[in-house]
Amino acid sequence: MSREGFTVPTGDLAAAAHGVVSKQVAGAGLNKNYGVKYLCPNCSFEVSLNKSDPIRCKDCGYRVLFKKRTKRMVQRNIAIPLLDSFEI
Amino acid sequence: MGAQFRTLEREARFQNPPKDKSAFPFLADAVAPHVGSFNALTEGPDGGLLNLACQDIGSKTIFDSNDPERLGNKLSIRVESVQLTKPAVPMSDKVSLNKRTYPSECRERMSTYRSRLVLKLAWSVNDGAEVSENREAGQVPIMLKSNRCHLEKLSPEELVDCKEESDEMGGYFIVNGIEKLIRMLIVQRRNHVMALIRPSFGNRGATYTKFGVQIRSVRPDQTSQTNVLHYLNDGNVTFRFSWRKSEYLVPVMMVLKALVETNDREIFDGVVGADSSNSFLTDRLELLLRTYKKYALHSKQETLAYLGDKFRVVFNATPDVSDINVGKEVLKRIVLVHLDSNADKFRMLLFMVRKLYTLVAGDCCPDNPDATQHQEVLLGGFLYGMIIKEKMEEYLQNIRLQIQSDISRGVAINFSDRKYMSRVFMRINENIGQKLQYFLSTGNLVSQSGLDLQQVSGYTVVAEKINFHRFISHFRMVHRGSFFTEMKTTTVRKLLPESWGFLCPVHTPDGSPCGLLNHLSHKCKIATEASDVSMVPKVLSALGVAPAHTFAAGPDQCCVQLDGKIIGWCTHEQGKIVADTLRFFKVDGQHGLPLDLEVGYVPPSSKGQYPGLYLFGGCARMMRPTKYLPLGKQDILGPFEQVYMNVAVTPEEIGSNIHTHVEYSPTNILSILANLTPFSDFNQSPRNMYQCQMGKQTMGTPGVGLVHRSDNKLYRLQTGQTPIVKANLYDNYGMDNFPNGMNAVVAVISYTGYDMDDAMIINKSADERGFGYGTVYKVEKVDLSQSKRRGDPITQHFGFGPDEWPEEWSEKLDSDGLPLIGVQVHEGDPICAYYDDTLGKTKVKTYHSSEPGYIESVKLLGDDNGDQEFQTISIKYRITRKTQIGDKFSSRHGQKGVCSRKWPTVDMPFSETGIQPDVIINPHAFPSRMTIGMFVESLAGKAGSLHGISQDSTPWKFSEDDTPADFFGEQLRKSGYNYHGNEPMYSGATGEELRADIYIGVVYYQRLRHMVNDKFQVRSTGPVNSLTMQPVKGRKRNGGIRVGEMERDALIGHGTAFLLQDRLLNCSDYTQTSVCRSCGSLLTTQTSVPRIGASASVRCRRCSGKLDPAEKTDSADVWEDGQGNKFVGGSNCTTVAIPFVLKYLDSELAAMGIRMRYNVEPM
Repeated sequence: MSREGFTVPTGDLAAAAHGVVSKQVAGAGLNKNYGVKYLCPNCSFEVSLNKSDPIRCKDCGYRVLFKKRTKRMVQRNIAIPLLDSFEI
Repeated sequence: MGAQFRTLEREARFQNPPKDKSAFPFLADAVAPHVGSFNALTEGPDGGLLNLACQDIGSKTIFDSNDPERLGNKLSIRVESVQLTKPAVPMSDKVSLNKRTYPSECRERMSTYRSRLVLKLAWSVNDGAEVSENREAGQVPIMLKSNRCHLEKLSPEELVDCKEESDEMGGYFIVNGIEKLIRMLIVQRRNHVMALIRPSFGNRGATYTKFGVQIRSVRPDQTSQTNVLHYLNDGNVTFRFSWRKSEYLVPVMMVLKALVETNDREIFDGVVGADSSNSFLTDRLELLLRTYKKYALHSKQETLAYLGDKFRVVFNATPDVSDINVGKEVLKRIVLVHLDSNADKFRMLLFMVRKLYTLVAGDCCPDNPDATQHQEVLLGGFLYGMIIKEKMEEYLQNIRLQIQSDISRGVAINFSDRKYMSRVFMRINENIGQKLQYFLSTGNLVSQSGLDLQQVSGYTVVAEKINFHRFISHFRMVHRGSFFTEMKTTTVRKLLPESWGFLCPVHTPDGSPCGLLNHLSHKCKIATEASDVSMVPKVLSALGVAPAHTFAAGPDQCCVQLDGKIIGWCTHEQGKIVADTLRFFKVDGQHGLPLDLEVGYVPPSSKGQYPGLYLFGGCARMMRPTKYLPLGKQDILGPFEQVYMNVAVTPEEIGSNIHTHVEYSPTNILSILANLTPFSDFNQSPRNMYQCQMGKQTMGTPGVGLVHRSDNKLYRLQTGQTPIVKANLYDNYGMDNFPNGMNAVVAVISYTGYDMDDAMIINKSADERGFGYGTVYKVEKVDLSQSKRRGDPITQHFGFGPDEWPEEWSEKLDSDGLPLIGVQVHEGDPICAYYDDTLGKTKVKTYHSSEPGYIESVKLLGDDNGDQEFQTISIKYRITRKTQIGDKFSSRHGQKGVCSRKWPTVDMPFSETGIQPDVIINPHAFPSRMTIGMFVESLAGKAGSLHGISQDSTPWKFSEDDTPADFFGEQLRKSGYNYHGNEPMYSGATGEELRADIYIGVVYYQRLRHMVNDKFQVRSTGPVNSLTMQPVKGRKRNGGIRVGEMERDALIGHGTAFLLQDRLLNCSDYTQTSVCRSCGSLLTTQTSVPRIGASASVRCRRCSGKLDPAEKTDSADVWEDGQGNKFVGGSNCTTVAIPFVLKYLDSELAAMGIRMRYNVEPM
């Protein structure tokens, strides 16, 4: 395998190649949370929501929730934007 | 006292916000007119303005009979009291731990900060016992930090806990997440008779003249009614008022006779007084009395009955009320409503008549309605109360209408039955809160009466938080009224000396609102509650003022009035003494006189203002503090009295026996913003105006709690600094909490040629260190329920569905279908995924901006009741805006410039100490603009940074003998620098010393929010208008920029015909089309259907004839159209290049029966 042809091995390589994924989250049906945590800006309580749940803090009943910053790496190509900062 | 940085103090305050009170009481003072006027709605004597309004509305009477012969049962219904609660979650909500709703939640959820309005309705049937019931009248938006807001008395620490700024000052409303405030409006001074000469008065009727006197009487509940007396050609006087937007004219004699039981003698004496030798006056009085005789109304009762009869319909009086009582009602509601007793009204009306005659005779001059002397401010809270009052009255009317429609429909009516009454209430719109919300969100006044105001829209503005300067300015803004914006004359816009100390002479925008949109001087206060004037009449009579009923009238006597009520009469000499004594007493606090009593003594003059002693203690007056010299104590001045007073500006100029007062500081005349311009006394005045504008457009620090804000667009400067050169007021207003710019080393030099024409060169390294780095936050609200109708079931859900969807979506979106925090999004990237039940498909919303942004935060918003599935999110994008060529900067002296280059540090000039400038500006920016203040700031900033001190830049601190050049020059000299601020510098490119010394120093620079990224526009090809095929316009639509008539002229003038054709035709709607050479028509050509083996040809339908099968024709000449019809001929067609609109024009003309013919010849 040549260096140029190397691709980063990801979990679902086959699916990535097709560009289409099906039922990505196991059982993304109703009343299933995705493991995403939300934060109550009022009392800092960590809330996990099920689908069709109203937006309420489980602790204090506040009606706004913030999405938490995920631990997952968000920016994959971090090295590249540095290049265009060298503008003339 | 010089300025200080107070860095440690500030840091300590930021870490531990004060637990007791705000460190910046000036901020609360700045919005006091707004908050105070709102508080007055519910507190104060007599239970607040709303309850006063209920009393004034009184009860409405309804009869239940359909039969004209008998009245039936009588229902009297009234609003007994009004209650306004504090904002809370809905009653049905059982989950919330804290039932209170705080403003921060409303900003985040884009909802309204509002609370319940409860009306206590009381009614009695046939004058029996009164029954009452509380009715919910919807939710009313509440002003922040008012007495109905949870934030009212919170300490800075508690405010921070409530996610507010530590020094939140309130004064605005939150409507649908947008901060709105009711702007202050200039109106005529209340309860004071103004003489007017208006040509438009003459248009009222045949004998009407331009003369009139006008009074704006204000009821205790702050609603007003304007009364005008018109002078007629023949010497008669008519009383005019408007009621429910229609105007009514009544002879003034009728009003006088109806008010009290009087006779002609009394009226004559009341107007003429001792001037019986004045034949001008006596002639007119005689005529006035004589012409009234034709009405043959002799007694008060007859007159009242006559009035009542005429106004019965207008006032909606019920048949059980007698004409006399209707007449009394008219007098009570219309005539001089600020006075209770009819005797007072009578005397005041006589005074008005005399003032009118004096004006006509030319013995007094007209009063200037554009002068601050005759103005006061309509405050937001009062206007709000006026609207609530009107809506309450409307509510009672609606009850009446509902019952009447029940009567006419034959529904069984029983007033004593609670069930029936509930049915009536159910059927009418009780939601007053919604109407107020509409008022605040649109600024439109929907009103039956017009509220005695001249405009119907533009009452509210958004309190934009672009930076703190702009935000605070909104609360100090006073508008003259949108009526004046269309006026051709500029008289209303003029800066008059009367407004000294009340309206800032500098802080007004240039352009169309110039002079109409003013700002209050920073020490100017506005009374939000009436002062206690109960002791004034007693003091006056003790001082020798004769009582009101004495035989006296006219300008030869000094009429003493208190809030539009005649207290008595005295001589002018005595009046002067009374005025001076009153002033001494009130400043000294003697005899229970309030300090803010306005003692307006108008001395007698030759054809000047009508003399008298006018005392004011009411609401909505402008006032300001000055020092009273005889006692050395503070006195409060109003604009009425100030005109006739001698107030020294500085202690040095006090002349003995001339000045009675002295200003505490000459800077008191400036607004908050104008005070912040450093050394503004050295600048040419328009430059200070420009700075007031640009300070408000600066990309600064809008606030600290940005996490909890969801404004559509917010600008933020990442590297804000406190200015080295600042006025002391800068700290008093806590401006360091919201830095607005950066200190920059500025060299005034023409260096590379890139600094021509107000361009500025920025040191590239300074830029990389963060000079001027900014961020824009944009918020997008995604509401899935918007696509469905109310009441329909929810069909769209956030998140991915079980169907198949492209995998690249998950690069930007998390497994919950919402974007990952911190991810960069480009145009077309998904920002959220949702599953549509009806389609069974997962869909995404995409990012629509050519500029990439980062997801800063995602907020999930619940609905009001908090029981529905979630349908709305708000996504905040962070768009980085580093300095770019084309971005706008400005110093604080109206010296704006555009960044033209980021010059590499190595090539920048350097001084002997090795200092390189952050910014280079061209010396040509100075001679014509004369912003010497900027030089001084540069000098002061340099000296300050060398010594590590902050410099005070308060204007009027230096003088001819003590110049800033010497003061700061000395400081510079001490640290080893050139006294004048010049330094030898060396070229960065060659290293040679420059031939001239360069003026280099430290100037505070602001980055303005106008940035190329929001402005650049480019197009090669793009969308076109489908009708004309010409390029569309507008940057948003990727359109072009029009080459207009004048651009066309320039191109013609240059003889650049080819360029002109390129712009106007080739790059516009160039089209090739076929034209018939024979008939010259553009529209009749068409392409034929090709025959097998042949190609299609263009034929003219008009020149071809139907194929006659009998006739023999050349088969090459035969063609066929799309419908299979065969034609022959019409082949003489050719192709021409035309602008497409020509074809459009031809079609339009054809539609009108005009044929265009083109003669086509080869060139």
